[in-house]
Amino acid sequence: MKRVLLVILFVSVALVGLGIQQLVVNSYMSDPEPKRVFEELVQQFESMYPDFEVTVNTFAHEDFKVLLRTWLTSSNPPDVVTWFAGERMRYFASKDLLEPIDDIFENGFEADFPKAFVSASSYEDRIYFLPQSWYWWGVYYRKSVFEELGITVPLTWKQFLDVCETLKANDMIPITIGTKYLWTAAGVFDYLNMRVNGMDYALKLTNGEIPYTDDGMKAVFEYWKQLVENGYFIEDATSYTWQEAATYLFTGEAGMYLMGQFIKDVAPPDVKDDLDFFRFPIIDGNLGLYEDTPIDGFMMPANAKNKEAGKTFLKFIASKEAQEYFATELGRLAANKHVPAPDDHAKKGLEMILSSDGVMQFYDRDTDPEMANAGMNGFVEFMTFPSRLDTILKNLEAERNRIYK
Amino acid sequence: MRSKRWVPWAFLALPLTMYSIWVIYPLISTLLLSFTSWDGVSMSKDIIGLDNFRELFRDPYFIVSLINNIKWLIGFAVVCVPAGLGIALLLDQNFRGNKLYKTLVYLPMTLSFVVIGQIWSWILEPRSGVLNSFLALLGFKGVSWLSDPSVVTYSLIMAASWRQISYAMVLFLAGLKGVPRELVEAATVDGAGPWKRFWNVVLPMLKPATVVAVTVSVIDSLRAFDIVYVLTRGGPFYSSSVMANYMYIKAFNNYRMGYGSSIATIQFLITLVFIVVYMRNVLKKEVGNE
Repeated sequence: MKRVLLVILFVSVALVGLGIQQLVVNSYMSDPEPKRVFEELVQQFESMYPDFEVTVNTFAHEDFKVLLRTWLTSSNPPDVVTWFAGERMRYFASKDLLEPIDDIFENGFEADFPKAFVSASSYEDRIYFLPQSWYWWGVYYRKSVFEELGITVPLTWKQFLDVCETLKANDMIPITIGTKYLWTAAGVFDYLNMRVNGMDYALKLTNGEIPYTDDGMKAVFEYWKQLVENGYFIEDATSYTWQEAATYLFTGEAGMYLMGQFIKDVAPPDVKDDLDFFRFPIIDGNLGLYEDTPIDGFMMPANAKNKEAGKTFLKFIASKEAQEYFATELGRLAANKHVPAPDDHAKKGLEMILSSDGVMQFYDRDTDPEMANAGMNGFVEFMTFPSRLDTILKNLEAERNRIYK
Repeated sequence: MRSKRWVPWAFLALPLTMYSIWVIYPLISTLLLSFTSWDGVSMSKDIIGLDNFRELFRDPYFIVSLINNIKWLIGFAVVCVPAGLGIALLLDQNFRGNKLYKTLVYLPMTLSFVVIGQIWSWILEPRSGVLNSFLALLGFKGVSWLSDPSVVTYSLIMAASWRQISYAMVLFLAGLKGVPRELVEAATVDGAGPWKRFWNVVLPMLKPATVVAVTVSVIDSLRAFDIVYVLTRGGPFYSSSVMANYMYIKAFNNYRMGYGSSIATIQFLITLVFIVVYMRNVLKKEVGNE
């Protein structure tokens, strides 16, 4: 025991003597694949910068969301944290809890990152968020299953309903979804809202400018109801996390899953290449095609102790090499615009986004956290009891009036 | 005499200091926060008087949580305590292997609620969980244990009972050790049947154990949180929420520290009633013993 203590003492003295800088990163990358890739990235950083020692604390996604606020307000926060671009980041920036990081972009943000990311990464003209990767949402399915049943990829709502019907006739669950943590339902909502009302409307809604009792909203739920009342969603959806629900797609028990690209992270190796996606079907041909493209990345707490070390790390993460490594390993799209799409799947995703007429982040990243929680609870309740729609919308409208007063 | 008065205080100084820091201070600060609209992040705390409490009693989800706590209370006090007593009586008999059974029944007590929640999430899984697979084997349709809003609270109470019953059992087993054999034998000689012996001799002797078991169960039911958090997070749409869980969501998920504090305050006041009743009972006895 004494010896161990001596060794620890010796090592820490040596570290201080050598000017080793300690750096703490709190991460929500808890699924095995992203966790592995991020750890490898950290190792690369440490071998490039031997003066730094990085401690990565990984938290389960849902716990991370709750804990972040505590870290940011504490006097001893981590130096770097993972987070989401857009409103979720701005909420903290507006409360002076984040450190602006403009100076890590030596040639300016737009030299390496798309102009379209500026607003999602900044607050009052300062950059607070370093984008790492982004991804698209789509309706995921298994190519082999569709082939076997002779299903072609649907383009319109009518065709989509036909696919659901065919799957059901073949004793399959047409659409799987796990709503235990609510946000998956927000994906369905986002897409129906963008397809029925367009993006301007959807943005106004997430800004709290449109009543939840509006006719446009009722129209959204009319379409949603068609899926619910025909029994196209998996039963007991509220029992499952998003990963648990994905298993039914992987095993072939379910046909489709509206999900982000990260569904591939949790797919077993033999299914991974069989997975493909199509663009959420068109409902109103007069409207543009809009997509959800959430951006993930990093930010720095205002109270971070080792800001210089943190910025060195962020600079490394922003570099083409680091961004490319992360994107390639996970099949995502790198935020750095000099990195090409890593594989055919990602190319297809990128093309879909480039051919779209506009993008949003995601319902719970674009709107106030409390409104998002209330809204998503309402969506899940609607999926179980569609007949309660009027009450649900009335309650959400009351919440909106309280939150955005 | 006078010089000795400081002695008890000297002994109490350390525990009292710790108690003040870890219990009294948070209690008061929660109470004060419940009169504000603090979001847990900002520097400023706006005082809004009783608005939080007014909102609370119009908040349908809080009402649901409160009612669910009452269901937990009834489940724990009316089901778990008698069940624990029944098992204790059974295992207090002398038969081969009763030590083994005692250990088996006691085992859930050694697990934390989080572990129990995880185990039960597998048992209650709707498509391939143990319980529904078993029902299917018998030819019954599976139950949506965790997603049917009218069932889910009872599923959670069932999972919690697994541990709570063994807790009650331990208390009663200890209590039964204090029932003098001669008394029971005397009753037998006087011609009392087993039911009479239990009702008129054993049960009255078990009164202290019963009081402890009921009070502890009631207090446990009011602070129910872990099982709910692990299994459903209060869902679907708050139908299985309890006060502690709703407070947690409001305060930490939705950034409404003030509102969350008002929920905690109500929960504290309700629990306080039971604690006071219990403490009065205990104190009376201690004074009586002197």
